[in-house]
Amino acid sequence: MSTASDAGPAGAGGSGAGAVIELSHVSKAFGSPSTSSPRALDDVSFRVAAGEVGGISGPAGAGKSTLLALVAGQLRPSSGSVRIDGIEPRRFVEREGIAYLPQSMSLPGGWRVSDALTRLAVLSGVRPTYTKYRVEACLREVGLYDDRRMRVRSLEGDAHVRLGLAQAIVADRRVIVLDEPLEGMSAQSLERLRDLIVRLRAFDRAVLIASRDTAELQRITDRITLIERGRTRRAGAARPATPTDTETVFHITLHQGGEYVLAVFPTAISLGRSTYAVRVSGFAALNRGLRELLDRGALLAYVTPAHAAVESSALAMNEVGM
Amino acid sequence: MKGRLTAYAGYQLRDYFATRALPIVIATALASWGFAAKRGVTLSDLDPTGGIDARERIQQAFELLLVIFAFVAGAAAAQGLVSRHRSREYDRVLFSRPISPVRYYSQGFVLAGIGGVVLATVGAEVYAVAVHPVSLPGVAGYVALAWVLVGGLAFLLSVLTVFHLPLLALVLAADLAVDHYMTALSRVGVGPVAATVQYLLPPAHVLVALRGVFARGFLVDPRALAWPVCYGVACIVIAVVLLRRRPFRS
Repeated sequence: MSTASDAGPAGAGGSGAGAVIELSHVSKAFGSPSTSSPRALDDVSFRVAAGEVGGISGPAGAGKSTLLALVAGQLRPSSGSVRIDGIEPRRFVEREGIAYLPQSMSLPGGWRVSDALTRLAVLSGVRPTYTKYRVEACLREVGLYDDRRMRVRSLEGDAHVRLGLAQAIVADRRVIVLDEPLEGMSAQSLERLRDLIVRLRAFDRAVLIASRDTAELQRITDRITLIERGRTRRAGAARPATPTDTETVFHITLHQGGEYVLAVFPTAISLGRSTYAVRVSGFAALNRGLRELLDRGALLAYVTPAHAAVESSALAMNEVGM
Repeated sequence: MKGRLTAYAGYQLRDYFATRALPIVIATALASWGFAAKRGVTLSDLDPTGGIDARERIQQAFELLLVIFAFVAGAAAAQGLVSRHRSREYDRVLFSRPISPVRYYSQGFVLAGIGGVVLATVGAEVYAVAVHPVSLPGVAGYVALAWVLVGGLAFLLSVLTVFHLPLLALVLAADLAVDHYMTALSRVGVGPVAATVQYLLPPAHVLVALRGVFARGFLVDPRALAWPVCYGVACIVIAVVLLRRRPFRS
């Protein structure tokens, strides 16, 4: 996944260096154009090439789900363009289909797990002779085989997300879009998901995953784009942490005054729930920054040292559109 | 795409009979019982050995049953489709498949119509064997007509709002009320206005008036069908156009 700035001009017809998913200066506002409603997305550009696993990270409400709904063809951008293989997403989806896990996975509660998957396999065009085998394989893959006769409404814990993953992979698709697949996952399910992502990698397949969990995204994706309040904050390779970093990362949680954080700590990233990861060169710099925050009227709730690895590497990514 | 949706038709039809058939039958029975109680009709009034008057009462009772069933089945034809999918976000998973939302919903709506006709025909056959002979083609035709008018309007409203059922009941009741009080309204000088309003409302009163012709198996004047059929078809066409423009909630 790369930003428009480092990937060259947006190509069409899937010609742009094998790009499969391509967003070019995309903005999305809800409500009528006459109302000055805030934009859910503002001038976002990136692409996920074939063979790549791209990640979208950002706090709750950053616009990740809106972005993925645009890629899935379930929303239309207010401006800019979204293309999959060079064509408008809705047309692509109706022609080829995509593997899509929405953030709130919802299926009729009365359906049994295996019945739900069979129906979705039929709609996906899985060959009738192959459907039963494919459904069972997917249920085993996500660890739901023993629950196959349960009704969807009876599923508990992360089983809903696992069913969502199963329905996404029940047919072989070139484009895979997963919205918060890590949400509420148990350690065992997370391990299974990591294995699944590894197996989903293919030379002709583009995978796009959105999550608040930057650390986990760094483990399973090639590139990450950080978005906040609908704007691209940073984008870059999801490279492992650099142990040579001399700087330290702290998590600060504010009761109020979140709007001053970026002014004081320009490289801060929001972790959601008024918590920010800030990178400073030492305690003196941290205290100077905190004093300035307090002077501006912020109310501090917590300051904790973070294990810097993940955030350092996230903060080290290329800055975009700042 | 057509192949996938055709293969899925069995599931949609199964859903209709599994989730909507029984509620339709129960709602029809309850409404019929309510009407009968209000009119003071008892089971002893419906004895087929009671002569011409009794047979006429039985026929009228059946027509009442038919009207109620046709309206309920028509309203249920769009139930569980567009607005429910949107409000519960089932559409997000379904339409990541290579299928068209318009075709998916249209197929579900058509199958609900077929399900309603089958249900009515089977019910009428049982009634004919057990109680009194009725015209099966007439019953099927009447339920199909109600599917076009009431179902078509329900389909359109379900594309527009999650409150499609209360809204449907409201406009149908409005039409029946305007028709019932038309003479009184003309007497107070608002007859032309009421007539104009009635042209905008779904012609439910026409559907009610046609019950006897269909139930008794008489030849139906095509001109009498034109208004309800055109109104229903127009609703379906508008619903399809709107669905094409906005297949998802957001």
